[in-house]
Amino acid sequence: MIAECVFLLVFGCQGGPEGQAVARWDFDTEDSASFQAVGNVQRDQPGPRPPEYPGFNSDNTAIRLDGKGARLVLENPPKGGQFDFSNGDAITLEAWVQLTHLGRGGNPYVIGKGRTGESGFAKDNQNWALRLREKDGLACVNFLFATPKNQSGAADSHWHRFTTTEGFRPGMRWHHIAVTYEFGKPGSIKAWLDGKLCPGKWDMGGATGEGPVVDRDSVWIGSSQAGLSGSSFAGSLDAIAVHRGVVPDQTLASRFRGVGADLSEMPAPEKMPEIGIIPAGKVLVSVQEGAAAQDRWLLRGEQLSAPTVSLALNHALIDRLPLRYDTWGIRDEWNAPVLVRMAADLNLPPGSHTLLARVRGLSRLWVDGKVVGRGGPLKGSPSGEEPITPVAAAPIPGARVAEHRQQEIFSTLELASPTQCRVVLETLVGGRQFRADPGETLLAVREGGAARYQLLGDRAIPLEDGPVNEALAANELAVAIVDDQNRRRLGESRKDFWSMRHEKARQMVLDIRAKNEAAGLVQEKSVDAFIDQKVKNALSGKGTRQSSENNWVQEKVMPILQAGCLRCHGEKNKGGLRLDSRPAVTRAGDSGRKAVVPGKPESSEMIRRVKSIDQKERMPPGHALDTAKVQLLEEWILSGAPWVDQEGHAVPPVSSPVLNDHGFARRVYLDTVGVPPTEKQLVAFVRDDRPDKRSRLIDRLLEDDRHADRWMGYWQDVLAENPTLLNGSLNTTGPFRWFLYDAFRDRKGVDQWVSELIQVRGGVHEGGSAAFGLASENDTPFAVKAQIIGSAFLGIEMQCAKCHDAPFHEIKQKDLFSLAAFLEGKPLPVPASSRVPAAFFEADKSRQPLIRVTLRGDEPIRQAWPFEAATGCKDSPVLHEYLGNTRDGRSRLGALVTSPLNSRFPRVIVNRVWRRLMGAGLVEPPGDWEGRSPSHPALLDWLAEELMANGYDVAHVERLILNSLAYQREAIGKNLAAVPEQRFFSAPDRRRMDAEQVVDSLHAVAGLPLDVEELCFDPDGRRPASNRLGLGRPRRAWMLASLANERDRPSLTLPKARMVTDVMEAFGWTGARQFPKTDRDTEVNVMQPGAMANSSLAVLLCRPAPGSALARLALESSSPGELVDGLFLGILGRVPSPVEKELLAASLREGFESRVVAAKTEYPRAIDPPLPKVTWSNHLRPESNRIGLELEERAKKGTAADSRLSPDWRDRFEDAVWSLINLPEFIWVP
Amino acid sequence: MDRRIFTAGLAGVAGTLGTSLANEDQSAPFRGKAEHVISIWLGGGMGALDTFDPKRVGDPASKKAGSYYPSIPTAVSEVRVCEHLAGLAPLMDRVTVVRTVNHTVIDEHAAATNRMHTGRPVGGSTQYPSLGSVVAHEKGALAGGIPPYVVIGYPNVTRGPGFLGPKAGYIYLTDTSQGPAGLSRPELITQPRQNRRNDLLGKLREAGAAERTGKVREYDETIGQLGRLGGPEFLSAFQMDGESAEMRRNYGSEFGQRCLLARRLVERGVRFIEVSHNLNFLNGAGWDVHNEGIKDQHLLIRELDFAFSTLIKDLEKRRLLDKTLLVITTEFGRPPEFDSGGGRGHQAAAFSCVLAGGGLRHRGAWGATDEAGKKIIQDPVGVPDLFATIYACLGMDTGKNLMDGERPVPLTDMGKPVGALFA
Repeated sequence: MIAECVFLLVFGCQGGPEGQAVARWDFDTEDSASFQAVGNVQRDQPGPRPPEYPGFNSDNTAIRLDGKGARLVLENPPKGGQFDFSNGDAITLEAWVQLTHLGRGGNPYVIGKGRTGESGFAKDNQNWALRLREKDGLACVNFLFATPKNQSGAADSHWHRFTTTEGFRPGMRWHHIAVTYEFGKPGSIKAWLDGKLCPGKWDMGGATGEGPVVDRDSVWIGSSQAGLSGSSFAGSLDAIAVHRGVVPDQTLASRFRGVGADLSEMPAPEKMPEIGIIPAGKVLVSVQEGAAAQDRWLLRGEQLSAPTVSLALNHALIDRLPLRYDTWGIRDEWNAPVLVRMAADLNLPPGSHTLLARVRGLSRLWVDGKVVGRGGPLKGSPSGEEPITPVAAAPIPGARVAEHRQQEIFSTLELASPTQCRVVLETLVGGRQFRADPGETLLAVREGGAARYQLLGDRAIPLEDGPVNEALAANELAVAIVDDQNRRRLGESRKDFWSMRHEKARQMVLDIRAKNEAAGLVQEKSVDAFIDQKVKNALSGKGTRQSSENNWVQEKVMPILQAGCLRCHGEKNKGGLRLDSRPAVTRAGDSGRKAVVPGKPESSEMIRRVKSIDQKERMPPGHALDTAKVQLLEEWILSGAPWVDQEGHAVPPVSSPVLNDHGFARRVYLDTVGVPPTEKQLVAFVRDDRPDKRSRLIDRLLEDDRHADRWMGYWQDVLAENPTLLNGSLNTTGPFRWFLYDAFRDRKGVDQWVSELIQVRGGVHEGGSAAFGLASENDTPFAVKAQIIGSAFLGIEMQCAKCHDAPFHEIKQKDLFSLAAFLEGKPLPVPASSRVPAAFFEADKSRQPLIRVTLRGDEPIRQAWPFEAATGCKDSPVLHEYLGNTRDGRSRLGALVTSPLNSRFPRVIVNRVWRRLMGAGLVEPPGDWEGRSPSHPALLDWLAEELMANGYDVAHVERLILNSLAYQREAIGKNLAAVPEQRFFSAPDRRRMDAEQVVDSLHAVAGLPLDVEELCFDPDGRRPASNRLGLGRPRRAWMLASLANERDRPSLTLPKARMVTDVMEAFGWTGARQFPKTDRDTEVNVMQPGAMANSSLAVLLCRPAPGSALARLALESSSPGELVDGLFLGILGRVPSPVEKELLAASLREGFESRVVAAKTEYPRAIDPPLPKVTWSNHLRPESNRIGLELEERAKKGTAADSRLSPDWRDRFEDAVWSLINLPEFIWVP
Repeated sequence: MDRRIFTAGLAGVAGTLGTSLANEDQSAPFRGKAEHVISIWLGGGMGALDTFDPKRVGDPASKKAGSYYPSIPTAVSEVRVCEHLAGLAPLMDRVTVVRTVNHTVIDEHAAATNRMHTGRPVGGSTQYPSLGSVVAHEKGALAGGIPPYVVIGYPNVTRGPGFLGPKAGYIYLTDTSQGPAGLSRPELITQPRQNRRNDLLGKLREAGAAERTGKVREYDETIGQLGRLGGPEFLSAFQMDGESAEMRRNYGSEFGQRCLLARRLVERGVRFIEVSHNLNFLNGAGWDVHNEGIKDQHLLIRELDFAFSTLIKDLEKRRLLDKTLLVITTEFGRPPEFDSGGGRGHQAAAFSCVLAGGGLRHRGAWGATDEAGKKIIQDPVGVPDLFATIYACLGMDTGKNLMDGERPVPLTDMGKPVGALFA
């Protein structure tokens, strides 16, 4: 979170001997001394400037802080230095402040020493501080210090706080504040506001003759107490000074050189903004921050920031703001309210014309320098009781109606001659308590008595639904391009750092390989070489004995021991027992009873334990072995417990044949872009006769933007992305889906995005990586995050460690919390709710409990890296070259996990990639490596090296795998179920499409876009994003989210989205991802064919809707046979067999010739009339519930089919489509 | 199959957690014989003072705390209910109002709803299963081809299986005239057309069958099962027009029809049916009667009364009442005081839930609150106790553990059944 900017500090003499400034910060560019910025500190912001504030330069700059912990830190100044004030010392503190927001009971810090919450210091070590303090909405000047704690006094008796009785109202006006005090002389306190001496009072411990705490804690500007919001300054600061001694009254009285009038009450003069040249036919749109409130225009002395984003559009129409990014190009929150300007030049003939603006919030419409219309400010939202807002009336018949609660501003222009007018719309969007969403904001004009309104800009677009929807789509595309450009431009700032890291990683790999070469080691260079090598070794191995006995033991018995016993009774030797060799199993452990007595299952302790009904005794702990396995073990012991060595006895299956072109294309499309190829793409690929066509296709697909989509659902699961549309519940996160999506589209190295994820930056609710940091309703969010980081990126499972040491792992509770402390930024105690009650351990002393707690309850755990052994990475200065900031725990953790010094990270990543493409990992399971061995250690190493040597680009590894024969073989492998020794990857495992692929493929086959509601219960933007999130309108299945309607209210239904999530849930997707997982439930269950057969989604997508690929196919095929070929290619990706072809063709033959009954599509059913909008604000009205049900009905009906097709034939066509998507083959990847 | 062996293996075994050990002695004797649960959920928070735990009548205008409606006597001499529960009053000897349910979540509906479905506070390391999922997991359905757990209401996480996994999940529907999404033929496909589709699909499956192995074959076979689960035995439950017009009238509104459907599902072997009563049309807010939402609260109460009393009588006539435990739960209650709009806020420290049938020894009411209805003065029943009572009524061992992967989780959070309800 620490930006690397430097603020400079001037030490020296300013003022006389009574008031020597020991430090002063003007935040101008020429200052020089190092200070660290933490959090959202914006520099080069406008400071107090003339004419309102004479005495400053006209380009004076200040810093702006977000009031959420943003601060400047001067760490641990030396003892006895200029910031130490003991009893008898005099101090003067002064600053220029522009406080934009003051919460109730707030104490925003201007500058203070101590009370930082940093480790090693008491919480109440306030050396001294200048603050403001809220009283009745006013900001009063406040001075605070603590004396060393006196045990006998009241709890707050060592606090000494002086507050003025007068104050100022927060806003955009600058104020000068100052305090002078001689420690030890309580009567010496004086406080100044805008050059006036203000009376005030001491409280808490009251006035004191004692001196303050003096220690080496840091000096902070703008915050305190570890960044507590109530103690943080929201607004701008300038000219802060600390003096030794008392600055004379006359000096302080003259400091405030403002004009003296109460600027806060005086609106800035209204003036149409200067826009400059606007290209013909274009609309210029800009977004500016710095507006103080959503319900008023600027006051004198207030200034907007320069536009954050400007763009030119073809149509005067937006329905969202361009995205705001932080300095790394990570999505961030708009500092709302923002001012949106939309400007265009309009050529009009003589006559009387009407201008129309649609806006959401406070607005003014200018024409040639004059305000011609105004809109009122946005108002807050009640929780459900708001009267229903009727659907707006169209301004003229046929025109598009205004969106829910958008205001319409009309203005008439009377022109005597042809004129070019400049039209400017200014509108405030969002606010401190409102999501920054402009709604459908537009400018249109109706010329003279014309029958239609037209959008400004490229005037071809009439204000009618069809054309406006097209214009919206076009503008969305244009805004998205600007977003991409802005993000990538900002992301450039990190390029050097990451190039440096990637170069180091590459060098490390080269060194390893050079060393291996020097040592004469054979180094394979392709996936297949490694796969073949293992097969060859197995075949040539010393003991390919293939007696049936060996096979039986090898295939049946060993896996039971492997899966059920060896985790504890292997290397770990739990209970003094090992079960990993023949001699060992026949020995006794600590219990004194022999685990296996060959030939005598009834005397074998192993059998007694696995059969025990006593949960405390039974092995393995947890789920009992099923009876079949117990029987196998009994038979094995009965037959003398024969043993098979691990080495050399595995018998590799014969490699499966390479997949044909059709199958390959379908598989590789699904694996890279998540949808099958279209008929055209497929045919082109099959016909292509270049020998390298498979590699070419792979390259093209890996370059495809949709490749990002393909990875989304996977990482959302693994990282437990869990945004909620209503109130947060367990482990709700922000929508960091957007951060991931941006990272994948921008092709960031996996080390970079993981590192940025860990550093939780940007907007929590806007989809920055900060969204990952949230975990609502959780007693220790960062412990959960540490657990996720461990399993996702390091293959280290720490779930148990939340409450106790892990029973089957080496992980201690302390390990998890020491990792969490990096994220927390300070030592972290185990919360009471995550402790095992003492009663647990006292209840049953007959057996040592499986779990242990080695942590004292309230002991705060300091940050420490527990995984040196597992990762090879050490928390030492060697790491510093991979760090942006050596002091920030998150930055450090990011480097510990992702730097090339960590050998585990690239292996875990490539294993995940491998597994996703091959159906089984080289290491299983991918999130928990402890005690597991890879099936192909050398291949794992090689892939990891390839990742490291190629900028941590995952696509590079995908390319290596996709190009291998191992990937391209027919999927008849059984690798997932095999023990590592028997996992040969002679064929990949068959995989079922995941939920996202099913839904996206159904849409791809139909040739229709995903069509669901906007995921938001506050579409009118009247609540903060923290309260009602907006997730937009999903385009791909992964963009959906939990629609959980815990309140069972029909008014809160999103029926079209639910049609989609019903199908996805049947296939194992869950919208609520409270916990991380790599594998969804893959059990086949009846709801899956049910979803394909009966779900509204699947049934409706079989319908040849106007404009769909299915309609085109139905209309354009020249014979039933051709049509059936097209259906098979488009849906199943292959040519039908003669039997199949005839089956379907027969059903379509009747009426084929006369199937086209009309030349043009018509919409027979009247388009459903628009309904009033249901939102969180009105959802408790009975009418809202009725509307909800009506929407459900409409969703079930779907849109009409293409009316050119005769209904009877069309039904049979739909039946054919339905039967093909219901074949198992459709949802099983070839 | 595996699961049954697994659960049989666990039966009667004390858990590794001390709390369940302590509980073992008390829980063992309480074993009911009920086989089904119909659980009615009153989303929003039903106020006990205005329904099942009436007190002195108050006055919203003068802000005098108290009940909204006068009370009436019932079949159980010392038990009174609000006047809008007139249908239930003569049946209260088949009912026990548990008047002392309590927990600590008051400000957030979703969190309280979660508490009343899982019986536990939200925990940072796992998602606990719902009551219905636990029952489905432990007892399965009573007949093949029938799902064990059906929700008549919107799907949500709280009603879900948590760590027990999808097999213990529910199927849901929101419209009683339609079967559950995914199992029943959508309205717009007629039966003859569906037959045509199935025929075509069947032939295509046959034509390509040779290529199917392993998991794909398993999936293919499941298509056949779909025919069963989506087939006549189960789906006939949703053909409500099989019921007489009088019967349908007796159940009343859409909520009543949900109760009727629940009875039909019980008859077909479904273990646990959750019926949501929060259709909101009557008063907009449902049971969440803040401010003006309270004005039409009596319509909700009457609707509940009408359907619930019919359900009791209907089940009794069919000799299903002793086999079917009826439950009414809600996320919390409401205080005796009125808010500025004349409605009520939330109160979790003492509120009422209702048990009926299930072969329990009913007593009209259990536990007592003080004069104001704010504090419990006798026999508090925590949420885990209420859950333990329900499990015990179904003959389940309340001392056993569920498995969250490798971690044992006691069935309830130290809950003890209300012993007095077990004859």
